Amino acid sequence: MALAGVTVSIEAVHENQIQEVTLDGQEICVPPLSMSECLAKSAQKIDFAEEDGEEKGKTTSEEETEAQEKESSAFQPSLWPWDSVRNKLKAAYTETGVLLDVLNIAKEKKYMVLAHVQQDTNEPKSALQILAKKKAFGLQSISSGLSTAASVLMGGADRLKKSQQEIGNRQQTEFHFELHNLRQNWRLKKVGNSIIGDLSYRSAGSRFWQGGTFEVTKNTMLPSEQVEGTNTHSALEVVIPSELEGSSYVQVEVKHVSESTGLMHATLKLPNSFGKYPADAHWQTKLEVAQNVLFCKELFSQLAREATQLKSSVPHVVVGNQIFTNIFPSVQLSIILCHATGKGDEKSQPRPPKVEHNHVLEHSLHQLLREVHHKTLHLDPPHPVTATFGMTKRRRLAGPSGMSRADLKEMSESETLLEQIIKQARHEVLRVRTMTTIDRLASTIPDPQIMAHWSCLNSSLQSNVKIIITSNGYDGLRLTWQSLDLEIGTDSIKVVTKDRRILMLSFLEKELEDLIRWQVSQHHISLSQNLARLMGWQILSYNGCSGVGEMEDFATASSIQLVAPNNDRMLSIRSGITSGLHVYLKIDSKDSLDPSLTALVDPKWLNLSGTFKEIDMEQIDGRNFAAKLEFIMAMVKQKR
Amino acid sequence: MGVVCVYAFPVPEGKSGQQVVDSLQKQVELLGAVKTGNFSVDCETYQANTQAGTLTTTPQRLIHVLHNSEQPASCFSVLDTGTTLIADVLFDVLIHKLTSGKAGKEAFYQQRKGSKMESKGPRYELSDFIIKIGSVSMASNFKGILVEVEYSPCSVPTECWNLMRELMQSFMGNVAETPPTLVKNKMDNFYLPGDTINQYLEHFTNFRKQTVMGQPIR
Repeated sequence: MALAGVTVSIEAVHENQIQEVTLDGQEICVPPLSMSECLAKSAQKIDFAEEDGEEKGKTTSEEETEAQEKESSAFQPSLWPWDSVRNKLKAAYTETGVLLDVLNIAKEKKYMVLAHVQQDTNEPKSALQILAKKKAFGLQSISSGLSTAASVLMGGADRLKKSQQEIGNRQQTEFHFELHNLRQNWRLKKVGNSIIGDLSYRSAGSRFWQGGTFEVTKNTMLPSEQVEGTNTHSALEVVIPSELEGSSYVQVEVKHVSESTGLMHATLKLPNSFGKYPADAHWQTKLEVAQNVLFCKELFSQLAREATQLKSSVPHVVVGNQIFTNIFPSVQLSIILCHATGKGDEKSQPRPPKVEHNHVLEHSLHQLLREVHHKTLHLDPPHPVTATFGMTKRRRLAGPSGMSRADLKEMSESETLLEQIIKQARHEVLRVRTMTTIDRLASTIPDPQIMAHWSCLNSSLQSNVKIIITSNGYDGLRLTWQSLDLEIGTDSIKVVTKDRRILMLSFLEKELEDLIRWQVSQHHISLSQNLARLMGWQILSYNGCSGVGEMEDFATASSIQLVAPNNDRMLSIRSGITSGLHVYLKIDSKDSLDPSLTALVDPKWLNLSGTFKEIDMEQIDGRNFAAKLEFIMAMVKQKR
Repeated sequence: MGVVCVYAFPVPEGKSGQQVVDSLQKQVELLGAVKTGNFSVDCETYQANTQAGTLTTTPQRLIHVLHNSEQPASCFSVLDTGTTLIADVLFDVLIHKLTSGKAGKEAFYQQRKGSKMESKGPRYELSDFIIKIGSVSMASNFKGILVEVEYSPCSVPTECWNLMRELMQSFMGNVAETPPTLVKNKMDNFYLPGDTINQYLEHFTNFRKQTVMGQPIR
């Protein structure tokens, strides 16, 4: 208790910052922060700019300007004459800034989020259940009935609630937005309460009788009720007329038919996956498919009409949705309209997957019809504006340029779609035939190499190929080349040989084969001729069509006689198309001459005697005939 | 456009024009030519109206309007200076306007009466050759015979003259010894549709002159 006199003073720890210490030692504290001030302070600590870099620029610049304003106001005297105006402007500016901030906060969700306060949604349910329970206490049956009724009501209520929510989320304007999109690509008009669209090619120049109107309706189905697996949902739906439903295409086939099978025999084959597209596809795909159906129908009806009108030696056959024409003997072109409605497909049997469909011809068919459309829409403008409409420039100038009757007739002629497609098909068949023939010959004939250079520039009715026949290892020598140009037309091939002779071949591949074989046999002879010239041998005679020896199956054999530089050896070469290549050598010897005459006779007379002996070319070294012949010539030339 | 030679085929005395035409046709058919329809070349002459008030010392200006069935879309008009205009058939409408006076005014041109000349007849084709045998008539009076031969693949007369002569001499004899003067003047140039018309016009004027000269004798 000794320390009883000591007073211990207890005072609270300074929670607040000391603002100032007066001279008499008294401390003046900062008043404690109120709740709102505390919030503001902590809010200041949060760096909003860090969260969003984009907004940083805006806000900081604003702050900066404000700070600058403050500074300037601090330094400038208030006696400035424009001070009041400046102040007002500044106030207005501040208000605008505030307005912008408010707008930013209201528009952009990141500043302020309005969260739903959890409400008790179970209230009606619980009330009903309580009611049901009460009743159940007395009557079991009524309770069950009521509970089912309650569940129905509950379901309805749930759905209403959901739809209410969804409508809230999804803007009402979605339908109009999609309608706007639709209108950008398709022609629409409003008739009464409904919106009618047109998907036909009328506006593009088509004159097909069948119209393609579709109706635009609002999609009432909710996204939540959609079939699983589809993620696209649109507020708009299109109703396509039943005859344009499904999908279709025009199948073009070039078939080789034997003479016995009739023209009528053909089966329609459809690929399995064809014709099905999801029922709830996007309206754009739906409309595009329907438009394609319409286009194919128009194309086919046009072709069918032409096929029945067109006169030809072998009539075109139109059966149902098929058109058959004979383009060459035993080659048939069939054009088939395939239209799958997509309904009965599940029932149909799986068909053979291989379909000989000619995509190129189908494409050109489409192109041709589009050209027709384009022509009906794009007429040449009349030249003096008062002149008759629809005259082409060429026709207009026909009078002043004095065009003859034949030219005018040619100008007025126009080909139908079918004629054009038949021509294209013919050309294609002919081209493929030529190609296979050349390839086959190139692979079967080993000795002279046959090369085909196809021109990369060709039209749908003409293509060119240059065939070069050369010997391996001697390609560099231009002399040993044999070349011919083929111009493949629609039903004949024009051949220009090296010496600019023009031959016309028909569509039969045999003719081309014969020609190339003949050229090959000619190549041997011209090769030996040129080789002899290079080696210093003399050409004694050349016969393009020698009449002696074996008969060839077609064309004629050719032969050449060569003499060695010192006149004592002779080579005779005969090249036939079917008989092949034969080389004969004659070596005259003094033995064959009467020994009594040797002293009297000049050695040159020795050349008259002797017999030719055939050389077995198989035994000679060398890769090909050219190398072998060169070898023989070099060997034989040596002096005895 | 090929090269065309037009010759006046003389009608020997004691023979009617029709007889000569028939014999020519027979000869052409014997050569193997195939008849491919008919042809006609017609010519109408218009003269400029001299204004009533002005004294004109210059001779009257003439314009010949010709049509050729070989160029059905064209209308040819030749001035007496030799200027040739080839126009569309609508040129006829213009001429019609120029010849019809309106509202008391006199027309610019007027048609010469009885001056319409025409060469009409069958047209034959013999591979590249087109042969036309026309009998010329003026106001439905027979005037003479004009034979036209065209070789269509070539348009420079020098290149094909010998070939043409050979064919023409085979059925016309000495008539086709030399090329027509108009063709002779431009042997190395391109032959144009207007040249055919000028050849016809030359023959038509010759026939007309014959008539004028022949009239006093009758």
